[in-house]
Order: sequence, then structure tokens, then C-alpha cells
Amino acid sequence: MRLVVFVSRRLALLAPVLIGVSIATFVLIRVLPGDPVLLIVPETATAQDIADTRERYGLDRPLVVQYLDYVAGIFRGDFGSSITTNRPIATDLAQRLPLTLELVVLALAIALVLAITGGLYAARHVGRWPDHVTRIGALIGNSLPEFWLGLVFILVLFQGLGIAPPPTGRIGTGFDVVRVTGFISIDAALSGNPAAFLSALHHLMLPVMTLALVITAPMLRSVRASAIETRDGDSFRCAEAHGLADRVLSRAYLVRQTLIRLPTLAAIIFGNLLGGSVLIEFVFSWQGLGQWALRGLLLRDYPVIQAFVLVTATAYVLVFLLADILQAALDPRVKV
Amino acid sequence: MTPLLDIADLSVAIDGADGTVRALEKVALRVDAGEVVGLVGESGGGKSMIARTIVRLLPERSRVTGSVTLDGRDVLGLRDDDLRDHRGGGAALCFQAPRASLNPTRTVGRQVVDRLLAHDQATPEDARQRTVGLFTEVGLRDPDRQFDRFPHELSGGMCQRVMIALALACRPRLFIADEPTTGLDVTLTGEILKLIAAQAVPGERGVLIISHDLAAIARVCDRIAVLESGRMVETGPTVQVLGAPSHPYTRKLIAAVPDIARVREAMASPATANGDPVLSVSNLDVVYRARFGRHGLRAISDVSFNLHAGETLAIVGESGSGKSTLSRAIMGLLRPTAGRIVFEGTDLAHLARRDIRDLRKRMQMVFQDPIDALNPRMSVEQIVSDPLRLVKMPAHERRPRIEAALSEVGLEPKFLGRHRHELSGGQAQRVGIARALVLDPAMVVLDEPTSALDVTIQAQILDLIRQLTRRRDRAYIMVSHDLATVRALCDRVIVIADGRIAEQGETESLFTRPSSPVTEALLAAAPRLSPEALSMKKDAHVP
Repeated sequence: MRLVVFVSRRLALLAPVLIGVSIATFVLIRVLPGDPVLLIVPETATAQDIADTRERYGLDRPLVVQYLDYVAGIFRGDFGSSITTNRPIATDLAQRLPLTLELVVLALAIALVLAITGGLYAARHVGRWPDHVTRIGALIGNSLPEFWLGLVFILVLFQGLGIAPPPTGRIGTGFDVVRVTGFISIDAALSGNPAAFLSALHHLMLPVMTLALVITAPMLRSVRASAIETRDGDSFRCAEAHGLADRVLSRAYLVRQTLIRLPTLAAIIFGNLLGGSVLIEFVFSWQGLGQWALRGLLLRDYPVIQAFVLVTATAYVLVFLLADILQAALDPRVKV
Repeated sequence: MTPLLDIADLSVAIDGADGTVRALEKVALRVDAGEVVGLVGESGGGKSMIARTIVRLLPERSRVTGSVTLDGRDVLGLRDDDLRDHRGGGAALCFQAPRASLNPTRTVGRQVVDRLLAHDQATPEDARQRTVGLFTEVGLRDPDRQFDRFPHELSGGMCQRVMIALALACRPRLFIADEPTTGLDVTLTGEILKLIAAQAVPGERGVLIISHDLAAIARVCDRIAVLESGRMVETGPTVQVLGAPSHPYTRKLIAAVPDIARVREAMASPATANGDPVLSVSNLDVVYRARFGRHGLRAISDVSFNLHAGETLAIVGESGSGKSTLSRAIMGLLRPTAGRIVFEGTDLAHLARRDIRDLRKRMQMVFQDPIDALNPRMSVEQIVSDPLRLVKMPAHERRPRIEAALSEVGLEPKFLGRHRHELSGGQAQRVGIARALVLDPAMVVLDEPTSALDVTIQAQILDLIRQLTRRRDRAYIMVSHDLATVRALCDRVIVIADGRIAEQGETESLFTRPSSPVTEALLAAAPRLSPEALSMKKDAHVP
């Protein structure tokens, strides 16, 4: 019951956040230099042509009217259309958001597993070689640029060993997957086509691996540090001094306290990945959100940028809500 | 009879970055079943090191020589399952700082059950019942309800009782309590020590109490062992060690204990109401407001008193009685719900925040934990000059004021460039006092100024405060639960209980003829080293 109240209060917070974010984006991108109209009209266009185009997109109206019109559209599920491609934003979002989410969620899940096991392992052997190997490994993954790491993986695992599929998108050619959820691997599984499902997973392999390696290091370091802190702390020492069995010691007196801080860190990383996966998307020809948003930004495609910021902001709020609930579940001192 | 615990020739050396530290040197200690042994000495002397050696929890880089035998078993040679069995089942250690030593993510009941199951003291089915039984034994009220609570939901005293229950759940042969009374008020200290001493059972279990507070534990110990810088300097029956100490260090420890029978010396002229009071509190109420219209917590109700220049007033009471709330209100850190706090003619209750800040130059505070109260990044000079900077005194005028303040607290100018980590606890507290004095305030509030310090250092700081209070142009308020100190230093005493004044009056009349049961209880609980007090303990303890 308390959880329901907590969640509804936080969701109610979503409204002011989105209103604030949308106004700020709306105004800021129009203040930035660069005019989308000049980018789409032909070079021979006269001043009259430009004015006409501007009018066609409604960009000649006062800012307030444009904003209210935009908000009214959102309530009808209409995010407007891209200025440069004329495609409805909603269609693009429905196609691209699942692609990026699949990538990011899987990468984060794998990174979490790596970080927790690696961090606990390193902490157990602190100062000895397993610790150094784990930490240096994570550090290397963290310090290499992700696009370069991605290219190396392609070179070695696709071209060299032939284990990985070519970096040509989301799924192999020739599969006919009926679109249900937009998440290709789920849709392939739903369509009862095992070959398509495997191909979808196979294509996830390299980009997910690259992304996971890049984000593991900060989480691993955090887990290792708090595991050491907990193990050297009085509550663990006390349990140890009272002769508790190793299994109880590590499960009830070490791991849980160690993981208390992880959800917040993971949420921050998730938020960064939503827009930050763009380089990986380029390398693997992944038609995801990042590429779309970057292109929108470069061409000053106002509706694209606005929709992207709204989606990211919503995701941020939701993910932090989830992180807070997880943290409260781990730490009884935190009240939801 | 072979002793339960026999430590012989124990030396511990710890290799660190700055060379090897010899923590213990040829230490010998013996505890019999049924016996309560007190291990005393100042912090850093190696007391906890002995406890950690017994449960084999020494730092990795330590080299141990000598022998530790418990119940005939060679403790230093134990491995794996035998070691696990020895930890808890052989010797169970009650950690100091119980709240920090409990697992914050697990209910206290589950933590006891973990111990019961580890030492086969219960089946999972009856573990809960056994735990509730232990909670009852250690005096937790409402034991069934406490089972499902987390450490952060319990008070400090309750955490200490849970910690004792944890150790008892292992059913140890030797029960070790490390500084079990730190942070507890006098009444609670007495109860907890009695509870711990009661665990000694002839033929079954011995008790080792480690403490820097000789006066507190002397009441319950059969024998006392005195440790100085890793060496055992004296061991013997309590009455002998206290009555006829043979080693100078023991004599120093005993002399440092503030004696409650000691009357305040040389009171030139008992400060009486001459002129207007510096501080006048009338009908003060402080209510902590709760959220959503629930009933607030009434922390202070209807408190009135006056304080004159030259006077030293003590505010005493148990923890939770409202002492801290009252001192915070006086300092203008808390807004009173009702009543007046008039300081030098101005009512704090109706002042704007920035005006209170101006007034605060005239009232200063000395904090309980001297180390915590100093900024680690600032030198002594910066710390003491901070108040001067806030009143915008030009930089070149500050230096003489700072040096004057330091000399007032007995520190030489060479301390100016030092930082917090280069100061001892006593020196840090002197710096804290100098910071309070540098603006030459009309009133200084001392919040338990000695309770975080070792006994010998306590005595020095109290001497300093005694000298300061001789100056007749400044008023002091001392918040304390240490009645001996209060008697030695203060003109008048206010006893607070449940947020109300239980009694107030001249120190001597209050000590000799207490009129309130609260005062009587506090006086009775105060530790003392007099022969009568010790003989009382002996009568109570002989089976």
C-alpha cells in the first residue's frame, strides 16, 4: 500500500518535470543558431518560397501558439512530423525506441552481472592478483573508445573468426517478422520462427558486448569499494567474531549491504546510455534512437529533438523511480 | 584449577607503512569461570587488541607470539571449523559502538537467530522463541515486538542490549564486552554493567570487561588489570588495585577520576543575582512538529531559569531528557514553540535569523566531540580566527587575539600551524574552547565537554574549565551527565527529566539534600571509587 502511494506520488511528479523540460527544449532549440527551413528549401528558393515553407510548418506563428499546439498534439498521440523527412515522429519513435531499449537494457543487465560478480570477487582477493586482473580489465574496457572497441570486435569476431554476424543491422536478411511489440527479438520469438529469433539474438551480440564492457568499470569499482568497506566494517566483523558460517556471512552480512548504492549508479548510467549509444548505433548500422536524435539535432529538426528530450526525460524519471524502489528494498533505513 | 582464559607472554606487532608498531608486549591475563575481570587503560593502550587476539580478528599484517589458551584449547593455533566454533562459542565479543556493529539491513531478531543457528543452540523452528527469551533476559521491553525491528529503529541503550543478546546467543565460555558503556548515560551504564556482570557463572562462564572508565566498571569487577601502552602494569583484586595501587600509572588513573564527594573549592563569592541576568529563560516550550498534523513531540515544557554573569550553571539529565534541545534553543539554533529566551535584554524568540546571528557573537558553544568539531582542512590558526573573520575584524588585528585565546586555554603559539590530525583529543578540545573564547562572549555553552576524552585528559580539561569559570565577567552553562564534574565546577544545577525541570538549586544543597527522586536516582547511579561503594558491590556479587 505504501508502495502504491509512493509510486503514484512520483508519477504525479512526472507531469511538472515533462512540462518544464518541454518548455525549456522548445525555447532553447529555437534560440540556437541554425534554421531548419533554410536546410530544406532548394538553393534557388526565393524569400517568398522560404516564407511559404515556414508557414507550411507553422513556424511563423508566435512561440506560445506553437507550443500549445504541440502540447495539444501530444495528447492526441501526435508528436508532429519531422521537418526534414516528413515522417510522423510517433512512427519513428515506435520503430526506433525499442531498438535502442533492447540494446541498452541487455547491455546494462550484463554489465550489472559482470560488475557484481567481478566486484565481489575482486574485493574478496583485494590486493592480490585476481583483484588486479579484474580491475585492470574493467579499466581497459572503460578507457577504450566504444566505437573503436566495436570495430575491433567486428574485425576479430566477424571478419576473423566468423562467430559474429555482419554489422548490418538488427536481424539477418530474409526473415519476415510480424511487428507486435517492436522489440525484434520478442517479435521473432512470438512469430514462432526459431531461426529468426536466433538471428535477432545473434545480431545483438556484438553491440551489447561492446556497450556492456564500456559501462561495467564504474559499477564494478563501486561494488568492489563498498564490498571492502562493508567487510572491514563493524557489522561484518561482529558477525565474523560470532562464528557465523561463511554462506550466511556473505549472503546476509556482505552482499546486501554492498549492493545498496548500486541501483542509483545503474540508473545514472542507463540515462546516459539512452542518448549515448549513438556511436555504437553508427558502427553497427543500428537504426536506433541515438542516430535519429543526432541527425535531428544536426538538421535542427525541431519536432525530433523535442520528442527525443521528452522520451529521455520520461525514461529518466521512471528508471530513477525503479532504482529508488530497489534501494528501499535493499536498505530498510530508506523509506519509500 | 586451570583458568578459563590464560594469556601468557602475548606480544603483538603490526607492520604498517611507517614501520612496525608493537601493540602488546609480554601481556599476561587470566580469567576464571564465574569471575568478572576489568581491563582498563587509556585509548590506544592495546585493550581492544587483546580482545581481538582472543577472537582472532587481528589485522592481516600482525605478528603474534606467546600463548592464548581458552578452556584448555590453544586459541592461536585454531583453524577453519575449530576457529569458527571458537569465535562465539568459545569467546563472544560485544563490540563497542553497538549500533554500528549491528547489520543495518537485517532485523535484530534475525541477527540473533543467525548466531543461535551457527552454534546449534536452536532448531529453525524454536529459534524465534529462543530469541524472544534472550531479549527478555537482556531487559528489552516488549521483546516480541523488537524481533522484527531494525537497528536504526532502536535507541542506543536498546542496541547495547541487542548486542549483549547476540553474544549470549553464541553461548560463550568467555563473554567479552569492549567499552560497553560508551555513549550511555549514568543510569543506563549501571544497568548494562550489572547485566554484563551477571553473565559470569561459576564453573561455566567468565566475563572480561574492557573500558577506559575505571570508575564505572570498578563496581562490578572482581579483579582489575591495568594496561599501559601495551604492557600490563598491575593486576589484582579490585579492592586492592583501587585501595593500594602499586604502579604510578594506576595511581594516575585513579586520581583522574572526578570524585563526586569533592566539593567545589574556593568559591570566592557565590555568584548571586547582581544586576540583570545575562540569560533569562521563562516558560519555555519546544515541540517538535510532526508531519500531517500528528501530535508533535514535546521536548521541553515550561522551563524557566536565570543565568548571571560570573555564574556557572549545570544542566544535567539522562539522555533523551531534553538537555540538548534546551541548549540548542538557548543558542538560537531552534525556535521555541512558546515562552521567552532573553539574552542580554533581547528576546531570541522574535528575532529574525540574521539578528540572531549577530547575537551569537556574544554566545559561544564548545562541542562534545572535539575532533568532529574541527575542520580537518583548516589549521588551528584558521579555526580560531574563523569567528573573528565572521565579525569582519581586519586580518592584522586577529593574530594577537588568537594568541591570547590560545594562551588562555594553555596552548603555545607553536600550535597555530597545526591541523586536526596533529592534535591529541585534549589539545583538540582546547582549540575548540579557544575558538569559543576568541570573541570574548558573554556566555559559553559547554556540551559534555569531556565525555569523549580519556580520564586523564578529562581531568586536565576540567582543570582548564575550572580556571576559566573563575573569571567573573562571563557566564557558563555546562550540559553534562557527569555529576562529579558538575559538583566540582558549577554554582547551580538544573536537573531535567522528560523535558521539565525536576529540580534546580545551589549545587551543594542539591547534592546533599536532593528533593526530587530524579536527582536521587542520578546521584545513586553516579560512579564512585569510595570504599563503601566497592563493598556494596562485593555484597551484591557474592553468590
